[in-house]
Amino acid sequence: MLYLIRKMRSQFNSWALLSFIFSILIILPALLIMVQLFAESNENWEHIKEFMLKNYIINSVTLVIFTGLFTVIIGVCAAWLVTAYTFPLQRFFKWGMILPLAIPPYIGAYTYHGILNYTGVIQTNLRNHFDIKVDQKFFDIMNIPGAIFIFTLFLYPYVFIITRSFLENQSSSLIENARILGKSSFQTFIQVVLPISRTAIVGGVSLVILEVFNDYGVVKYFGIQTFSTAIFQAWFGMGDIQSAIKLAGTLMVIVVFILIAEKLIRGRKRYSYSTSKVRPLQPKELKGWKKYSVLSLFLTWFAFAFLIPSIQLLQWVYMTYDVILNEVFLDLIWNSVFVASIGSALIVITALIIANFSRLSKGWFSQFFSKITVLGYSLPGAVIAIGVLTLFLALDQKVIVLYEWIGLEPTLVLSLSISMLIFAYVVRFLAVGYNSIESGFEKVGTAFTDASRTLGMSVTKTFFKVDIKMIKGAVAGGFILVFVDILKELPLTLILQPFNFYTLATKTFQYASDERIHEASVSSIVIIFISALSIFFLHKVLEKEPK
Amino acid sequence: MHKKNLFTTIIMVLIVAVIMAGCGKSNDGASSGNDKAASKEEKNSGEVNLYTSRHYDVDDQIFADFTKETGIKVNVIKGKEDELIERLSREGKATKGDLFFTSDAGRLHWAKEKDLLQSVESETLNKNIPENLADKDKQWYGLTKRARVIVYSKDKVDPSELSTYEALTEDKWKGKVLIRSSENIYNQSLVSSFISLNGKEEAKNWAEGIVKNMARDPQGGDRDQAKGIVAGEGDVAIMNSYYFGQMLNSEDPEEVKVAKQLSVFFPNQETTGTHINISGIGVTKYAKNKENAIKLMEYLSSADVQKVFAEANYEYPVNKEVEPSELLKSWGEFKEQDLNLSELGENNADAVKILNEVSWK
Repeated sequence: MLYLIRKMRSQFNSWALLSFIFSILIILPALLIMVQLFAESNENWEHIKEFMLKNYIINSVTLVIFTGLFTVIIGVCAAWLVTAYTFPLQRFFKWGMILPLAIPPYIGAYTYHGILNYTGVIQTNLRNHFDIKVDQKFFDIMNIPGAIFIFTLFLYPYVFIITRSFLENQSSSLIENARILGKSSFQTFIQVVLPISRTAIVGGVSLVILEVFNDYGVVKYFGIQTFSTAIFQAWFGMGDIQSAIKLAGTLMVIVVFILIAEKLIRGRKRYSYSTSKVRPLQPKELKGWKKYSVLSLFLTWFAFAFLIPSIQLLQWVYMTYDVILNEVFLDLIWNSVFVASIGSALIVITALIIANFSRLSKGWFSQFFSKITVLGYSLPGAVIAIGVLTLFLALDQKVIVLYEWIGLEPTLVLSLSISMLIFAYVVRFLAVGYNSIESGFEKVGTAFTDASRTLGMSVTKTFFKVDIKMIKGAVAGGFILVFVDILKELPLTLILQPFNFYTLATKTFQYASDERIHEASVSSIVIIFISALSIFFLHKVLEKEPK
Repeated sequence: MHKKNLFTTIIMVLIVAVIMAGCGKSNDGASSGNDKAASKEEKNSGEVNLYTSRHYDVDDQIFADFTKETGIKVNVIKGKEDELIERLSREGKATKGDLFFTSDAGRLHWAKEKDLLQSVESETLNKNIPENLADKDKQWYGLTKRARVIVYSKDKVDPSELSTYEALTEDKWKGKVLIRSSENIYNQSLVSSFISLNGKEEAKNWAEGIVKNMARDPQGGDRDQAKGIVAGEGDVAIMNSYYFGQMLNSEDPEEVKVAKQLSVFFPNQETTGTHINISGIGVTKYAKNKENAIKLMEYLSSADVQKVFAEANYEYPVNKEVEPSELLKSWGEFKEQDLNLSELGENNADAVKILNEVSWK
């Protein structure tokens, strides 16, 4: 009995309590939606099953497999090259290769379509200056291969970031040993780098996969039917919430399956600092033709994934800025930055608490919390939005009773306030912040925490005096990744925005959905600029982090 | 005993924490509640809250003019039509939205079906807006009108070859018809109108025929269909009239060039008429500012505003007193489908099913 109590005490402290509360808050909106998963299937569902479901699955899976494959190839190769070798501009590419993350795939999609279509810059020039008319087939990007191209261009940084930081910090001894033992670069890459970095690779690619599953902007614009378009079609097009939720549920099952697979592939391997000094990998210098071919590869890729779309957008900005830019536009920037900062801060705090709790107490209870954080990331933004709306409306009903009791007129307070939107961001993106912080904790292990505890400091004191200082980089990294994600977020913001509240992303959508791509360029470029700036800061932060 | 104490403590702490979290939240709410209080003072001079899926800059301009003229402030949430409907229905009685404004009669009807709108009697509206462009029960009114027309290549197609939407399903047009995806509401409403006029079977045959004759898998928006013609992918495209107007007046000279090689044809003039749709507006069932809402609707239907409103987006005004813009007049007058637009909504679910069944992507 005493043992049991002691065990409970060690599990239930204030950290447990806070973790518990946060987790409940996060799981509630999803639960409100999920209860309908078991509702009886109706006529629409039969219709969807008969005519559409197979197509959705094939399209979604095709997109995921190929995007996953290509992002791994490009992300891992790039990460290996920038950490293991020096070549011209190598220091720039270390963070420059992350920049494409600043371009939301939906903006990338319409920009590339704008470049390639009949009135786009390429065809126009060929036609007007060289009198060449081309077959549209070669310039058609609005299909599945086109979508894979877009996703790969703008999502590979997820794989790149995680793999690169792993290789930089963890692998030096193994790789240097391989080099000493006479392995060629290629052999080292295949036999050592790939196997040891598989945890990082899988972590990165699972983010890519979730992004692809959740994407609505690109596939909608390109007219590809996937799970996310189907959810919208059933819910809003057929007015059938049940079928929509069944689709979302099916998607969730797939996602959970992927996450389990990720855990299995990761295995029990954990690499954490065994000494207090982690020696970064010493890069080798590339010489001769190798140097130039690597450089040109990087330059080409960087051009496609960042420069070309940015330049095109700038040209459109030049065409339209006089109509678009006014004081109202400054509000947009302020709104976007404001919600993104608050949202990111809340996410980082929540993630720190849950991650710290779950790493220190190993019971099922704490592990359960750490899994919950991923839930929001695996659900489409629109589904979360409706769940959050339902939750807040229910809260408001309670408040209304209170209001009437005091004698005020019944009204919506919570669900028309910005707190609803920010709460939804927390549910949606907690996983992003959590993953970064968790990997930070994983890297430092528990040795230092244990030492501090042995010396008599409490968990909380240890947390502030030891733990948080060791994972400063991961915290900053998590903050910035979430910040960029919120800045780019669209479907959720559209549903939950309060009156007269617009962000850069919703403004972009308004023009783009009206087929006014040129007008959309101004807000797009500002999103890209702010995100790029954040990524640069991220790089600076990580650079400073003691190695 | 010890254990029980522990539990009580935990539960107590939990409750306190939840309450505190709640307070934190409602503090948050309170700050925006203060905003609300501030706007409540303004309410004496008046305000009106609008949910809209239209996102033309001219709308904002007109709302600003309305405020100047009447002192009534217009608060706006812009979103996608279906999600705004979902939001309205979830907010129920407590909603702050007074008006719902969207660009498709089918969606307006749907909002009505979900019991989100209320009937509005107004002589001004009855006078300004033709009966067939408003709901049978006056729950919504059309404000601007657009036609879904056939656009054709001046080089490759002689307009005498064109006649009806149905004719585009003939073998002659195999591989030549450009039209966007079935997910698009304008196509759904087009099929809905055929269900009303010709019955489900005919509507399905038509959709099947179009899929068979498509120049390529549906992709892109309406403008992309027009570009597809000039790029040589097809000969004719079905698109909304105002997109064509926008292209003719685009700030991108290449788009203008494309549009100049094309021309507009109003189909089914000898038979059932060209398909039209509207942007329309309705007062929500639980509107808190009903009077102001009606004032805004009347304002939007008035002759002066109709002129600006319709012209800015190359749409047709619904107010018969107002002439369409020079450009639209140059396309000529045309016979419209003789249909109460409510039916577009009534048939929407069937239309979506038909489109899925014939594998219209």
